[in-house]
Amino acid sequence: MLMRIGFRNVLRQKRRSVLTVLTMFGGFTLAAISIGWSDGTYSNIIEMFTRDRLGHIQVHHEGYLDRPSLYKTIDDSEAVGAIISDIEGVEQWTPRVFSSGLASAGEKSAGVQIIGIDPSRESATTHFDKKIISGRTFSTEAAREVVLGQGLGEILKVSPGDSVVIVSQGADGSIANDIYVLVGLVDAGDKMTNQTAFYLHLHDAQELLVLEGRVHEIAIVAEDLKEVVELAEVIQGKIADPKLVVEPWQVFARAFYQAMKADQQGTWIMLLLIMLVVAVGVLNTVLMTVLERTREFGVLRAVGTAPSQIIRLVIFEITVMAIIGIILGCGASYLVNYWLSIEGVALPTAFTYGGMEYDRMFTEINARSFYIPALTVLFSAMLVSIFPAIKAARIAPARAMRIR
Amino acid sequence: MNVQNNNSVILTENVTKEYHDNGVAVHALNGISMSIERGEFTAIVGPSGSGKTTFLNIISGLDRLTQGKTWLAGKLLSEMSGRELSDFRRDHIGFIFQAYNLIPVLTVEENVEYIMLLQGVPKTERRERVHGVLEQVGLEGYADRLPTRLSGGQQQRVAVARAIVSRPALVLADEPTANLDSHTAVGLIEMMRDLNQESGMTFLFSTHDVRIMERARRLIVLEDGRIARDEIQAAAAGRQA
Ligand SMILES: Nc1ncnc2c1ncn2[C@@H]1O[C@H](COP(=O)(O)OP(=O)(O)OP(=O)(O)O)[C@@H](O)[C@H]1O
Ligand SMILES: [Mg+2]
Repeated sequence: MLMRIGFRNVLRQKRRSVLTVLTMFGGFTLAAISIGWSDGTYSNIIEMFTRDRLGHIQVHHEGYLDRPSLYKTIDDSEAVGAIISDIEGVEQWTPRVFSSGLASAGEKSAGVQIIGIDPSRESATTHFDKKIISGRTFSTEAAREVVLGQGLGEILKVSPGDSVVIVSQGADGSIANDIYVLVGLVDAGDKMTNQTAFYLHLHDAQELLVLEGRVHEIAIVAEDLKEVVELAEVIQGKIADPKLVVEPWQVFARAFYQAMKADQQGTWIMLLLIMLVVAVGVLNTVLMTVLERTREFGVLRAVGTAPSQIIRLVIFEITVMAIIGIILGCGASYLVNYWLSIEGVALPTAFTYGGMEYDRMFTEINARSFYIPALTVLFSAMLVSIFPAIKAARIAPARAMRIR
Repeated sequence: MNVQNNNSVILTENVTKEYHDNGVAVHALNGISMSIERGEFTAIVGPSGSGKTTFLNIISGLDRLTQGKTWLAGKLLSEMSGRELSDFRRDHIGFIFQAYNLIPVLTVEENVEYIMLLQGVPKTERRERVHGVLEQVGLEGYADRLPTRLSGGQQQRVAVARAIVSRPALVLADEPTANLDSHTAVGLIEMMRDLNQESGMTFLFSTHDVRIMERARRLIVLEDGRIARDEIQAAAAGRQA
C-alpha cells in the first residue's frame, strides 16, 4: 500500500516528477556519454601509441629497459617468436635490434639510433609500410637499404637514392661501419624519433653489429587491448626463460600510462558535477514533497504508520523517479554512444600520427558507461533524500494536523 | 483512582499541559482527572482555546503531557516509546479529524483498508470488512472514488469508516462536523451514535455545535483547561434507550 501511495504521488505531481526524472535522465545520459567518450579516446590514443608503434607487449632480456646494452639480447628470436605465435590472443609479433651510431652523408652527420626491423613482420604488426612518406619501404630480403626518419633526412640533406654511411660498434668490439642506400623516409610518430631513427633491415643490422641472429626486443600486438596484462603473464609463462621479461605497455611505457590515468581523472570531476546537478534537482523535489505533505505524513503517523515506513515511502518515491530516469537514460545514451562509436566525433583539427591521419575519435560502449552513471544518479538521489525523509518521519502528528 | 477498572477506556489523573510560546508559558490543561467507560458516547465542549484538541491529543499519545498520568485501555501512555505508541494507536484508536485528512491518492476503499494493512489483516478479510463498513456509513457505491471527488460529508463518512474498520477500543474525533453544514453534521453524528449503539464502540468527540452536543450522552465542558461541568444528558440518553 505504501508503494501504491508512492507511485500515485509520483503520478499526481506530474510536472514536478517529469522535471525530476528529466534531471536524472539528463545526468545519466551526460555521464554515460562522457564515460563512453573518455574511454573511447583513451583506447584510441593507447592504440595509436602502442599498436602502431611500441606494441602492446614487449619482450626483452632482463634489465634491458633500465640500462639498454648491445649485449642484453634475446638469443633465439625465431624460437621465442614461434612460441608467441601459438598463444591465443596474440595477433602479431616483430623482432627488433637497437644500437646507436653516427650517420653521415656528404658534409652532414648526425647521431642516430639504429633500429633493425623485419620489414614484413614490422608492417604486419605496426604498419611500418604505411608510415613511409617518400620513397618506399625495404625490400623483403636484406639489400643494404636504409629508411630514415623524416627529420633525420632533412638534417642529412638526403633524399631516396642517396648513400648514407654509418659508424657504430659491433658486439665483438670491432668498429662497425658500412654504407647503405636510402630508399625511403618515414614518419615515426614524434619529432624526436623522426630526427634520430635510422632503420635497417634486421639482417643488415645484425650483420653490422655482429649480433648473429640475436635481437633486443620482440614487440607483440594483442587482439584485445583490454587483455594485455593477462596476456603478458601467459606469454611469460609459456616462454619459460627467467632471463626474458614480458611486460605490457602499462609497465614498459610507464610515463605514458601515468599520463593517461591522470587524464581520466577529468571524468571523475565531471561525474561529481553531474552528481551535484542531480542532487540539487532531487533535493528541490524532496523538500517540496515533505513540506507539502506534512499533514498527510502527520495523518499516516497518527493512524499508526511507523516512522521507518514514512522514510521508506519518501525514498521509494525518489527511487521510482530515479529508475525511470535511468531506464530512459540507458536507452538514450546507448543510442548516442552507439552512433558515436560508428560515426565518431569530428576533431576540430585533424592530426597525423605515425603516418595515419586522425580526424575523428570514437566513443566506446561498455558496461562502465551504464553502471557508473546509474550508481551516480541513484547515489546522489538517495544522499539528498535521506535527511528530508527522516524529517518527514519525525513530523509530530499533533502539530502537523494543527496546520490548516 | 482505580487503575484496575476494566471498564475504563480512558483514565486521566491530574493531567496538565504547558506550551511554551516564545518563552511565555501557556497552560492549555490545568489538572484534568476523569475517566471514560467502555461504550460511552461523549462530547467534549468548551470555548475556543479551552484545551479540547490538546486533551484529545494527549490521551491518544499524539502529544506528550507535562504532568499527570493517562491510561488508555489499561496502559500507562507515558511509559511507552514512540514506536509502541504508534503501534498502540494503530491497534486501539480510530481517528476522525476535522479536516477529514484522507490520503488523497488512495481511493475510498484503500483509505479504509490502510490501517488493516498495517495490522497485517489478510486480504479477503480486509475486503469483507471494508465493504461491510462502507455499507454501514452508506457509501456502498463509492469504493473506487478518490476523496477529491466526494463531498465534505461523504469524505467525513469515509473517515468514520476508516476509524471504525479495525474495531478500535476508542474512536476519537476532534470537531468532526466543523467543516460540514448543520444538516450533514447532524446526519453524521446520528450515524456515529448508531454505530456506537450497534457495536458498543466508545466514541469521544469535541464540538462547538449545540445541535451536536444535544445528541451526546455525556457532556464534558472544558474552560481554561479545567473541567467546568461533567454531566449525563438525560434527554440524549433517553432517546438512545
Ligand atoms: N502547539 C502549541 N503551541 C503553543 N500553544 C498551543 C499549542 N497548541 C495549543 N496551544 C494553546 O493551548 C490552548 C488550548 O488549545 P486547544 O487547541 O487545545 O484548544 P481547543 O479547545 O481545541 O480550541 P478550538 O476550539 O479553537 O479548536 C490554547 O490557548 C492554544 O493557543
Ligand atoms: Mg481544537
